[in-house]
Amino acid sequence: MIDLSKGSRINLSKEAPGATKFTLGMGWDTRITDGASFDLDASALLLDTNEKPVGDTASLVFYSQLSSPCGGVESSGDNRTGEGEGDDETITVDLEKLNADVAKIILVVTIHEADARGQNFGMVNNAFVRVLKDGSNDPVARYDLSEDYSTETAVIFGEIYKKDDTWRFAAKGDGFAGGLAAFLTGYGLN
Amino acid sequence: MSISLSKGGNISLSKESPGIKQIRIGLGWDPRVTTGNDFDLDASVFLVNSEGKCRNDKDFIFYNNLKSAEGSVEHTGDNLTGEGEGDDEVIKVDLSKVPADVDKIAVTVTIHDSAARGQNFGQVENAFARVINEDNNQEVVRYDLSEDYSIEDAMIFCELYRNNGEWKFRAIGQGFSGGLGDLASKYGLNAS
Repeated sequence: MIDLSKGSRINLSKEAPGATKFTLGMGWDTRITDGASFDLDASALLLDTNEKPVGDTASLVFYSQLSSPCGGVESSGDNRTGEGEGDDETITVDLEKLNADVAKIILVVTIHEADARGQNFGMVNNAFVRVLKDGSNDPVARYDLSEDYSTETAVIFGEIYKKDDTWRFAAKGDGFAGGLAAFLTGYGLN
Repeated sequence: MSISLSKGGNISLSKESPGIKQIRIGLGWDPRVTTGNDFDLDASVFLVNSEGKCRNDKDFIFYNNLKSAEGSVEHTGDNLTGEGEGDDEVIKVDLSKVPADVDKIAVTVTIHDSAARGQNFGQVENAFARVINEDNNQEVVRYDLSEDYSIEDAMIFCELYRNNGEWKFRAIGQGFSGGLGDLASKYGLNAS
């Protein structure tokens, strides 16, 4: 696994030659202490070369919209408690199926109702997010959300983007306040 | 100079206080001012392995088992009311003596006789946990529990844990309504 620090970029076709499908995997432990469950959500926003959503509200793949219209980005569905081993939610990206207008896919992790439930990543045990080549269990990049994003409730994990005709991954690791709603508002979506 | 953490936050003790070895963890709360039974909070410590479980009963340090087997953790005794300024109960830890198979030291607080007294953390004022470096007597980090915990009577205040070769402190503030029994179960012990 390449040890990516914030801001690092890798050329996916160099580091994973021939790979055209990638998985964003996210997992966490179920809550053992009393209180509301920890419900983490993985989402993907598809943007064009002008950083505008491709297809308006259809540009967001998340628990209420499991596939992009082109079928190039798909979510495994909503896991509301973290029950289950390994990745609890995944988003798969198939570069070959992507609408030709898609130039960037932003990968985001949020805690559902974080403010109302008084929760942040530090309170969740073993929360992580990682990028894998489809079919591999060896992550290209990984963040430990519980440890390194402890007081955050929403993180832009990274971006898959096209440059000079090759696809690349940029590790972001930027926390932001306001949850998924605030993130989308910034792109003109409700 | 002391860092104040919010719930979920963590810091590296080694980074904040290089060379830190002997620490004391101070727990405090205000005594009851309204009429009724005193709040008798009890600090306990669970030494846990990489699976998050105690290796044996001796890994549970409390008012009837004041010192860990290899001497790395020592509880300095029971405060029955919260009377007194500053720390009401103190736990000393020598980080250099913590056995290699102990990955985490969980510092918990329970309310003695909570069911009979009808008490929970929501009624307790100004609860806090802090770490002091015994070498220079400086407070390194502090966690003030400011929220209401209306139904819990057993709480994981904070943890000391190993991460990449360093000792870190994490502010937890999550609990249970089933008292010491719930806590003990979580750490793999029988509550008897």
